[in-house]
Amino acid sequence: MTVADTKQNFFAQGNVYLPHIAVIEKIIEETPGVRTYHFNLKDEKLRKEFTFESGQFAQYSVLGTGEAPFCISSSPTRRDHLEFAVQKVGKVTNALNRLGVGAEIGFRGPYGNSFPLEALKGKNLVFVGGGIGLAPLRSLIWNVIDNRDIYNKVDIVYGARSPADLCFKYDLEAWDKDKTVNMVTAVDREAEGWKGKVGMVPKILEETAPSAKETVAIVCGPPIMIRFTFPVLEKLGFKPEQMLTTLEKRMKCGIGKCGRCNIGNLYVCRDGPVFSYAQIKDFVSSEY
Amino acid sequence: MANKKVSKKDIAGLLEQWSQQFAVLVPSKESGVAAMAEWDGKDTSFLDWYRNTVVPPKASFLPPMEEMFRFQKGEEGYNIEPPPKAERNQLIFGIRPCDARAMAILDMTFKQTLEDPYYLSKRNSAVLVGLGCTNPYESCFCTSMGTSPTESANVDLMLIDIGDEFLIEEVTEKGKELIAKTKGLKEAAKDDEAKATQSKKTAYDRVTRKLNTEGIKDKLLASFDDEGFWEKTAAKCIGCGICTLLCPTCYCFDISDEMVKQEGTRFRSWDSCSFPLYTKMPMENPRQEKWRRVRQKVCHKYEFYPMTFNVIACTGCGRCIRLCPVNWDITRVIESVPTKTEARK
Repeated sequence: MTVADTKQNFFAQGNVYLPHIAVIEKIIEETPGVRTYHFNLKDEKLRKEFTFESGQFAQYSVLGTGEAPFCISSSPTRRDHLEFAVQKVGKVTNALNRLGVGAEIGFRGPYGNSFPLEALKGKNLVFVGGGIGLAPLRSLIWNVIDNRDIYNKVDIVYGARSPADLCFKYDLEAWDKDKTVNMVTAVDREAEGWKGKVGMVPKILEETAPSAKETVAIVCGPPIMIRFTFPVLEKLGFKPEQMLTTLEKRMKCGIGKCGRCNIGNLYVCRDGPVFSYAQIKDFVSSEY
Repeated sequence: MANKKVSKKDIAGLLEQWSQQFAVLVPSKESGVAAMAEWDGKDTSFLDWYRNTVVPPKASFLPPMEEMFRFQKGEEGYNIEPPPKAERNQLIFGIRPCDARAMAILDMTFKQTLEDPYYLSKRNSAVLVGLGCTNPYESCFCTSMGTSPTESANVDLMLIDIGDEFLIEEVTEKGKELIAKTKGLKEAAKDDEAKATQSKKTAYDRVTRKLNTEGIKDKLLASFDDEGFWEKTAAKCIGCGICTLLCPTCYCFDISDEMVKQEGTRFRSWDSCSFPLYTKMPMENPRQEKWRRVRQKVCHKYEFYPMTFNVIACTGCGRCIRLCPVNWDITRVIESVPTKTEARK
């Protein structure tokens, strides 16, 4: 994996824990409970200087309520604003849900490693996503599409519980129309008017049966989906080094100090969030 | 150059001199609980009662609760202000070698990757004056953990009890400079050095508890999925978190906000892997069961920290043994980890 570049920092007042102020510019209701926020850093100079890579995350604050980590879900190739997407499930995400366009949030980052773009060059890519787990993948998918000729075949297998739970429908449509991408969309159970595939993501992946040759699979979704996807990939001939995932854990500091996001000796914030299955397979059975 | 020495009855004078320059912290009792606290300017009775503090000296660098910044919401939006820097640097008088080693272990985490400004600003400016143990507890096992009751490796100055006086070992440049500026010290004689050597040997021999940690990292790795072992190990633990909160090498913290009207504070506070909330996410918790939390505590110290920093994150201070309400004993746990062949069965 790309190791986090410690020189690349955008500390507020020289202190890694101090957030910058960012302004929400647009809110998209993805599904009932899931929203995408478009935002920009308030400081103009910083807005220009700020860089990140696909796969990195940041810490977002609703000041007075708290802070939570989410990936940057937009692509660094599309920089007129930044995006993150969250499901309304906890204290911070509920507070976010009460904010409107123009509201100020705290932002610090980017943190963590990123998808290994160099290693993906010339490879076939299989994206496997479930629910809101598409958020970190879409940063890379758009990155790949915007540099389409340096990658080989692209498959996207994406599923959600029901048609209403599919996130980023505008992306799904765009990728479906894109002739350079094989887009497979599925829902868990039959639903009225649904013409796509039906079944859990690991099963749909098995049916899609992408070749493992010169291929890297990039998986993100609920932990249970991730756990069931690895064995399917192994069955399709993928080696642990050919399977990447990006993980989510409860985090506080984002920089490998506060302790809680470890899987074995690896901290999701410091050593991830992007891991190969080879890195985490010793612990993943019982720690994730 | 010969070492200096100081008479025990002159310690107050020594601390008074150092108080001119530093916030001097000494072993103190608050509501009966021993912790490092700012010296009151006269009391040196700790020289009689002090064996080790209940609250480890890490609390002076990573306080149980610490302000990270303040914020105000005004018409122009939010304004964020870091907390003011402490006026005076800290001098910790009387830190035990086990706890000084623990500070070196904590430094690794707070220095790595992105530096922690709150911890390091206090840590880098502090002076550690060690005080060799003469009377270790039965629960102490520092001599098995790469240190000893009189080890000077992780302090700036080390004081060794030689009867009515302390021999002063000048360990770092910082320590040497301080001694050069300190008045009223005597030159140690050859006889004093001999007494110090004897004092160190006596203290060393008094640490009777031993722990064999050979191969422990690999044994734990092989036993990670041995649920039966971990359930047995965790059986009597009541999850109070004392063994972690008061561990000198534990550093986990939580971050929270408080806001009244338009003004608020973000602060951090000690947290513990013993608590289910520590890893709880809205949809699930990877360590809902107690045995997973106990496993994390043991493996973090004896397997994960060695994997990352090549050092066991335990100094044998014995607090987790002394303070545990149900007599959970880390040394027995480490001794009972199955060997590789057993774990494979």
